[in-house]
Amino acid sequence: MLRPSNYNCNRGNCRNDMKMLRALDFAIQETVLYLDAYPENRQALQYYHQLMEKRRELAEAYERGCGPLTMYGNQSHTSWDWVEGPWPWEADAN
Amino acid sequence: MWTYDKKLQYPVKIKNPNPKLAQIIISQLGGPDGELAASMRYLNQRYAMPYGKVTGILTDVGTEELAHLEMVAAILYQLTRNLSQEEIAGTPFATYFVDHTTGLYPVAASGVPFDMKYVGIKGDVIADLNEDLAADGAIT
Repeated sequence: MLRPSNYNCNRGNCRNDMKMLRALDFAIQETVLYLDAYPENRQALQYYHQLMEKRRELAEAYERGCGPLTMYGNQSHTSWDWVEGPWPWEADAN
Repeated sequence: MWTYDKKLQYPVKIKNPNPKLAQIIISQLGGPDGELAASMRYLNQRYAMPYGKVTGILTDVGTEELAHLEMVAAILYQLTRNLSQEEIAGTPFATYFVDHTTGLYPVAASGVPFDMKYVGIKGDVIADLNEDLAADGAIT
């Protein structure tokens, strides 16, 4: 079962996964803005799907081991991990 | 609708609190060219946009501005952590502290609270996009 302490896990996996997730999401964000303006660009659309595939895998692993990323991601059936810290604006989360 | 992502767009980890710096950076939260003004500008302009592409950009950029707002808030929160009254007294942050302590209240550096007067919304695509260019240099 998920424990809140997993969020800060000593193995450093959660921290590394979060770092990778931020990088992926930044790339996705920029690709989305490009696609908004150039929706017919197939190369950009392909790149979007490449990034999204990686994101789905990583987000799933993160939510399983570290805690929910959104309110839809609470994996545990025995504890409500969404409210467990640290929250993103706290130094410990970064 | 919106869904919260429990992460910052870019990490914020500040070692040393600094109330003087916070008093300057707070303008990026609640000032005329801050992230709150930017998000309100784009998210409220989008309803009058006649083109899907532009509506999409305003929706996605306006949403991203909210993520920027959160990063600025994280900077301010961490810059003002665990400060004693002695550390605040005599700094430009002292007058803010009188009303808000270290709570985050969107104001400009001058202390004027956030105001929608900073934002232009005219229901006209050219007028609104020109406002965006003037406010943000570019809309992306």
